[in-house]
Amino acid sequence: MVNGRSAASLQEALKIRANEKVVPYAGGTDLMVENRKDVTYLFLGKVPELRQITADDEYVRIGAAVTFTEALESPLVPALMKEAVAKIAAPAIRNAGTFGGNLGNGSAKADSVLIEFVSDAKLRLVSVRGERVVDVDAFYLGRKKLDLMEDELIAEIWLPKEGLEHYYYEKVGGRNALAISRISFAGVYGEKDGKITKCACAFGAVADTVLRYRDLEAMLIGKTKEEAKAEKEAFLAAYADRMVLTQGRVSAEYRKDVCLNLLRAFLEKFGI
Amino acid sequence: MDAIRFTLNGAEVSYAGSAADRLLDVLRNNYRCTSVKCGCREGECGACSVLMDGVLVNSCCVAMGAVEGAEIVTLEGYRETKRFAALADAYGQVSAVQCGFCIPGMVLASEALLAKNPHPTEEEIREGLSGNLCRCTGYNAIVNAVAIAAKEGDGLW
Repeated sequence: MVNGRSAASLQEALKIRANEKVVPYAGGTDLMVENRKDVTYLFLGKVPELRQITADDEYVRIGAAVTFTEALESPLVPALMKEAVAKIAAPAIRNAGTFGGNLGNGSAKADSVLIEFVSDAKLRLVSVRGERVVDVDAFYLGRKKLDLMEDELIAEIWLPKEGLEHYYYEKVGGRNALAISRISFAGVYGEKDGKITKCACAFGAVADTVLRYRDLEAMLIGKTKEEAKAEKEAFLAAYADRMVLTQGRVSAEYRKDVCLNLLRAFLEKFGI
Repeated sequence: MDAIRFTLNGAEVSYAGSAADRLLDVLRNNYRCTSVKCGCREGECGACSVLMDGVLVNSCCVAMGAVEGAEIVTLEGYRETKRFAALADAYGQVSAVQCGFCIPGMVLASEALLAKNPHPTEEEIREGLSGNLCRCTGYNAIVNAVAIAAKEGDGLW
């Protein structure tokens, strides 16, 4: 085909990726908005290795070309991811849009990427040279800047199978359907023997990348709920201090207020 | 260079142009499927909805290279079916069509919804049509039409 290459297997796709200058195309829903004429797309929608959802002992592995609709219909995908994916755009976009594309687009507004940040997801990147597995937060170097080599493809997203059961998720958009996140928040909570074991907080659409501050999360780890309550205002103040937000469609001040409100709502949902 | 082969409304066709071209433009300009409307070119209005391998997609956000081997159905093909007749009758009963620009997309979104869920609730109908914007009707008549089609066309889906 003219201005396009298509691959029927991952091996074939990687060879093309290694030898030619191509733009990986999975669902097209972001790429076609840009509608660049001077590119050669590498069509990945028919690569079977990228279209599966599988599970091993530790992770649910979502292929990069799996669509959001397919994920919603899979019993393997965690409820937190489904809740976020169900709010992406509208059915026709969810039928085409993919997890790999959401990552590859490099935006901090990507709704599935927020969940990957809060879940400590890993990404499997492949090339003819081999493969590597990276943490999602290390993969995002900045706005539209990804740790992806010219010959690599995103192959799989690995979400932990356990530990995502207790969560709080909110997407703030301008309307119900077809809404681009203005602010999004996901929190994951865990406790064992009366002590907090997990308090992951991720903020989307408010800076160049999704934000997570592990040192601030650590303020509540190991504490009882009563101890955490005593620490709550200091915890929120630490976030207020740390968060440097950018102006986008909405002001940086509005973003910060909403982020802190959502963070407080997350704590209160779990009795803190 | 091999042309891109696909099925359009049941007929086998091939496209020799760029794989980066939008399906929307090719359907309108090369195959004269003018039921497929261009509203926004960014996947936000649903006016260009078509069925691709039975799945609803926005044709403005599909590059031709992704269409290789696919089965595309536009309203020009869908209108030959009994399901279309049931939807057309229901849309007519409640005057769900005003200017008509969004209607080909609405009808195909209705089909995609009913094919998956033949007896949707009102909420499910609104969700199924949520990617299709209409600036005339205020949506209620269209939602009612889909409910009527599901009832009177019972067994078709």
